[in-house]
Amino acid sequence: MSGSRDAAVAPEAAGAGESEASDAGESLTNDLGEPETDDATAAEVSDAAAAEPTETPTDREHRREVATDRWLGIAGAALSLVGLGVLVRQSSLVLAGAVGVGYAVYARAGEAPTATLAVTRSVSDAAPEPGDEVRVTVRAENVGERALPDLRLVDGVPPGLAVVDGPARVATALRPGTAVTFEYTVRGARGDHDWEPLTAITRDAAGARERVSDLDAPTAIACTPELSAGGDLPLRGLTTVHHGRVSTDVGGAGVEFHATREYRRGDPLKRVDWNRRARTGELSTVELREERSATVVLLVDARESAYVAADPDAETAVEASVAAAGQAFSALLDGGDRVGVAALSPLDCWLAPGSGTVHAARGRETLATDPALAPTPSDERFYRSLWLRRFRRRLPADAQVLFFTPLVDDTAATLARRIDAHGHLVTVLSPDPTATGTAGERLVALERRQRLRTLRSAGIRALEWGDDSFPVAVAAATRRWSR
Amino acid sequence: MRPVAIAGVAAVAVGLLAALDRGIAAAISPTSAVVTLLGVLGLVQGVRYANARRDRRRLLTEPGEPERRAPAAVPGSALDERIAQVASPAPGGYRSRRDLRDRVREATVEVVARDRNCAREAAAEAIDDGTWTDDPAAAAFFDTRTAYPVRVRVVAGVRGRSNYWYGLRAAIDEIERIDGGEP
Repeated sequence: MSGSRDAAVAPEAAGAGESEASDAGESLTNDLGEPETDDATAAEVSDAAAAEPTETPTDREHRREVATDRWLGIAGAALSLVGLGVLVRQSSLVLAGAVGVGYAVYARAGEAPTATLAVTRSVSDAAPEPGDEVRVTVRAENVGERALPDLRLVDGVPPGLAVVDGPARVATALRPGTAVTFEYTVRGARGDHDWEPLTAITRDAAGARERVSDLDAPTAIACTPELSAGGDLPLRGLTTVHHGRVSTDVGGAGVEFHATREYRRGDPLKRVDWNRRARTGELSTVELREERSATVVLLVDARESAYVAADPDAETAVEASVAAAGQAFSALLDGGDRVGVAALSPLDCWLAPGSGTVHAARGRETLATDPALAPTPSDERFYRSLWLRRFRRRLPADAQVLFFTPLVDDTAATLARRIDAHGHLVTVLSPDPTATGTAGERLVALERRQRLRTLRSAGIRALEWGDDSFPVAVAAATRRWSR
Repeated sequence: MRPVAIAGVAAVAVGLLAALDRGIAAAISPTSAVVTLLGVLGLVQGVRYANARRDRRRLLTEPGEPERRAPAAVPGSALDERIAQVASPAPGGYRSRRDLRDRVREATVEVVARDRNCAREAAAEAIDDGTWTDDPAAAAFFDTRTAYPVRVRVVAGVRGRSNYWYGLRAAIDEIERIDGGEP
């Protein structure tokens, strides 16, 4: 595909000379309603033909061609003037009407040209950290035979990224062989972000006809946050047979006192209760609480209903859940537990529980870039029973589940109870995305609080955090929870 | 329409010929009344065509706002849209009103049962007979036999909203107050 060559991601920073283009583009974008281009357009257009050989046009998909109705009624106005001139016997009015007829012909004469452009897009950093600013440079060269008297280019910024500097669009006119460059800056956010096709809108000189095309110039950035351990979450008493840090109700070797029992042949001498032997003459053995490791699956609710926030521009509950799951992932791995990742999503996402540095890297990759945990919801439909059947089949028998969900619908609460009922102890960790402005928002917040209460009364641990950070909420909840 | 179009084309053709050949123009020699009539016709038709622009928006492509991150939904915004639909005092939307009332009632039963430490059935009874609250508007929202207070009806009438809308808001205010906000 010709477009893929043009759209190769160049990690170098954009040249200083091209920065003027974005400023010019900004001033032009404000005039998008008017098709006239001004002198600033000429300043940003470079004569590409002299500098580089003619490029292959980028693959283009025609979307629509319409009459804009810009000159609608001009013929009527002209006829009115002529009629009025005849009526009042004024030849000057008839002549003025003739001018209007000229405009009507002008409006019908043109045709919206095809956007035969070679588009390249480069980013200053293809693998930024969350919050980093990434400079995006787009260059479009007219490689066709015809001039484009009125061209508007609107870049397809990924929906998960926000532009923080400059508009991602430009309006200009391009002769054959000339090019336009514009720049803007996006702020990095977790996930794989693919640019959507650039939209090119071309009009004839009169602005009476318009043609819209999509120009495909694939570009992507991957933003993988570092995982930092936070929120030393106390796990529930479902453990593996291996040693770890979760205290159990099983007596044996450990640190914390559990019980005493009659001495049996073979018990280690250091666990014999010598005080009791001295007092009563009987031999007894002290049992300590065994500490074992656990198998934990971090389940993140990423259904469409979980992409909610108290403010339309705020981070969604899925982002909060993934960030908290990342902290729990690191903390649990550091504690010697086996940790896996799954998503409650129409798209499949499963990382089997494991441990070790390779597994830590896999977990980081899954949480950052798995399509099921993308920054924007999937269009696929979610089938609850199918998902639950597949999840149960994969879940190890001794695994407990940390379920990250905003709990804004009954499905999440029902699933938590069903998973818990199947013997996999569930802890619900819920970022609070509710607002309290309108009647509907208050009712939904109330229903969510009731779901939390219902879960707690069913014996499921539930923790919520809103303005507090996740580790602070965990620390507060840990004091409340018993083992 | 076809005869009119033929007549129009013929008139234009005669006009062009008259412009080229003075003899034809002299032969037609329209009277002053005919010229005035043509002027009026041109003016009326011109105004009629120009009028087509009125109320017509230009069909320019709206590229949207790709610079903005895809906005997140706010929990409850869909519910607010449904509430806005029933805010009008116009009759209708019975099913929508009933569904909304059932949903608020469900939440209210939970809140009242928890507040009074009683069974859900007892809470449902208290809601049905209006004894769950001191707010008459909130009580009337669930108890259809009780009329809304005069104050609510007057305010609703003046502001052009339905009694139902005021009752719904009063009920949500009341259950929020009873609930206390602690999970």
